Amino acid sequence: MNNDDSINEHWSTQKITGLVNDQDGVLDARIYSDQALYEIELKRVFARSWLMLGHETHIPNKGDYLTTYMGEDPVIVVRQADDSIKVFLNQCRHRGMRLARDDEGNAKAFVCTYHGWAHDIAGNLVDVPFEEQAHCDHLDKSKWSPLQARVETYKGLVFANWDSEAPDLLTYLSDSLPYINTMLDRSEAGTEVIGGIQKWVIPCNWKFAAEQFCSDMYHAGTMAHLSGVIAGLPEEMNLEDAVIPTKGNQFRAKWGGHGTGFYVDEPGIMHAIVGPKATEYFTTDPAAKKASERLGGEMLGERMMGQHMTIFPNCSFLPGINTIRTWHPRGPNEVEVWLFVLVPKDAPESMKDEIRKQNIRTFSAGGVFEQDDGENWIEIQKVLRGHMAGKMTLNAQMGLGQSTQENSNYPGRVGDVYSEDAARGFYTHWMRMMTEPSWDTLKPE
Amino acid sequence: MTLASFSAESLLQDLASIKTQHEIEQFYYREAWLLDNIEYEKWLALLDDKLHYFMPLRRNRVKNSRRVKDAIPEYSRDNEFAHFDDDITAMKGRIRKLLSDYSWSENPASRTRHTVSNVIILDDENTDTIEVSSAFLVYRNRLERQVDLFAGERRDVLCRADNDLGFKIISRTILLDQSTIMSNNISIFF
Repeated sequence: MNNDDSINEHWSTQKITGLVNDQDGVLDARIYSDQALYEIELKRVFARSWLMLGHETHIPNKGDYLTTYMGEDPVIVVRQADDSIKVFLNQCRHRGMRLARDDEGNAKAFVCTYHGWAHDIAGNLVDVPFEEQAHCDHLDKSKWSPLQARVETYKGLVFANWDSEAPDLLTYLSDSLPYINTMLDRSEAGTEVIGGIQKWVIPCNWKFAAEQFCSDMYHAGTMAHLSGVIAGLPEEMNLEDAVIPTKGNQFRAKWGGHGTGFYVDEPGIMHAIVGPKATEYFTTDPAAKKASERLGGEMLGERMMGQHMTIFPNCSFLPGINTIRTWHPRGPNEVEVWLFVLVPKDAPESMKDEIRKQNIRTFSAGGVFEQDDGENWIEIQKVLRGHMAGKMTLNAQMGLGQSTQENSNYPGRVGDVYSEDAARGFYTHWMRMMTEPSWDTLKPE
Repeated sequence: MTLASFSAESLLQDLASIKTQHEIEQFYYREAWLLDNIEYEKWLALLDDKLHYFMPLRRNRVKNSRRVKDAIPEYSRDNEFAHFDDDITAMKGRIRKLLSDYSWSENPASRTRHTVSNVIILDDENTDTIEVSSAFLVYRNRLERQVDLFAGERRDVLCRADNDLGFKIISRTILLDQSTIMSNNISIFF
C-alpha cells in the first residue's frame, strides 16, 4: 500500500472531502455535474445503500414481479412461494441480456429471449437449451445465476442492497423511523398502492430532487410553487388571500443522511395540494385521531401537515399527500422519476380515489406543483455547464447552528421548518459514503 | 358510383357525412390554433361542465397467448394512477395556474405546434354526441433549446354547441405513444 488516496484518476479522498462543508454550510457545484464523481457515486453510494424499489402490494401473489433499477442496474423484484421477496439483477449470465423485458406481470419462469436460458422465480438458472449436446455436462448451472441483492421491507416498502457488509435496514433508517411511520404506520391496516408507476425523465442531477424532498420547505413557502397554490384556490379567492404557513420543524437524522420537514397546525399547503377532503381525513377526521395515538401523540399525527421526506439516497415521499418516488440516476445530468401513490388500506374507497386524483393533479409529471420543480432543476443543470458556474461554491447555510437544540415535541435533531440542516446532513453522508470504503468507519455508532 | 346507383337520398346522406367530417376537422384545427396561441380561456369555453380529461399510463407488456388471463392491461385502469384525470374544476385550476405570472414551467411560454390528423368519426348514431378518434403530433420548444415531441391518439366525445367553433368536448382520452415520459414535465394540453 502507498499513501495514494486516489479513488479514480480524477478524484482523491481529500478532494471529495473538500466538496461538502457541514460546518460552514457550503457545497461545491461540481457534485452535481462531474462525470467522474458520478461513476464513484454508482459504486460507493448506489451499490452500498438501501434503495426503495416498490411496495409489497405491488406484488401480492406468488410469481408477481416488477422490473426496476438499483442505480443504473436493472433488477427484478419477485414474490416467492413462501411469501418472501427476491431481488436479482435483470441480467442473464450467458451474454448479459435483460431477462424480463416488460414492466410488471406474473411469471412462472424468466426465460432469456437471446438463447433461452431459463430461471425460476427465485432467480436460479434451471434450464439451458441443448445442455447435454452442447455443453457436454460441463456447465455448472448453480454458478451462473443472476446476482442476488439483500432484501428487507419496512412496513410494506421493499428495499434492496447489493452490499453484504451494510448494516440492516432498521439500523440504516437510524432515528428517522417516527417520521417515516407518519405515512406507513397510521393504523394497523398499513398502506397499499394505487396501481401504476408513473415514469419520466428530468435532465438534472438526482441530488437536486432527493435533497429538495429531504430539506427544502423553503421553496414551497417562497417562490417555486406559488402557481401550484393558485391552481387549488377557490375561484373567488386570490393568491394574496392565501396564507403561506410559517410554523413547523425540520429533522436531520443523526446518521444516514435522511431528513424531513413539516408544518405544525397550518394546513394551507396541504389544502392546496390534496384539497379539503383529504386534508380533513389526515388532520381532523376520527382516522387522524386514531393515527395520532398510534404514532406517539398528536404532534406526530393530526397536527403535522405538509411533510416532505427523503430516505438517503433516492427515496422521497410526502406523508399526508402520499406520493412516493425513487429518483433513479441516469448519468450526472439526468434523473428518471418513478412515482407511485400509497393510500391507507383502511381508508374509505372514496378517500383512496380522492388521494389518487389529487396526486395526479398536483404531484406528477403534469402536476401543478411538480411541473415547476422540473423547470428549476433543468435550468440549474444547464447553468452548471459553464466553466465558472460549474465550480462555484453554493450556499447551504440556512439554520446553521440552530438545529441542535432539544425539541420536546419532536425526537432527534430538530430545527425550524425553513432550514438546510437536513440538506447538510444529506450531503455530509453522501461525502462520507464517497470517501469511506469500509463500513468499519461508516457504520452508525 | 354508377349512374344506376344514384339516388337523391344517398347523395344527401353522403353530403351530410362529408359535412360532419369537415365540421369536426375544422373544429380540431381551430382548437389546435387556440392551444398553440395560449388562448386557454377560449379553449376552456370549449370544454363541457361534465368534462373528463384523461391520459392513462402506458405499460411495456410482453404478449403471451398461453397466459389464461392477462391481468395487467397496457393502459392503466380507472382506479389506477394516470398522467391526467381531471374534471372541469381541476382543469380550471390548471389554466388559472398556467396563466399566472408564477407558472415557471410555462413562463416564458413554450412554443407549441399541435398537428391533428387521421380524424375518424367512430360513432355519430347517437343524436346528442359524436365519438371521434384523431391522431396528434405536438412539437414543443421552450427557452433556449429544449425540444419535446409528443405523439398519440385522442378519443373524444363531442357534442354540437352554440359557440363559434360548433362543438364542445365532453370527454377526451389521450393515448400517448410513450411509456416513460421523455420530457421534464407535461405543462401543455393535448
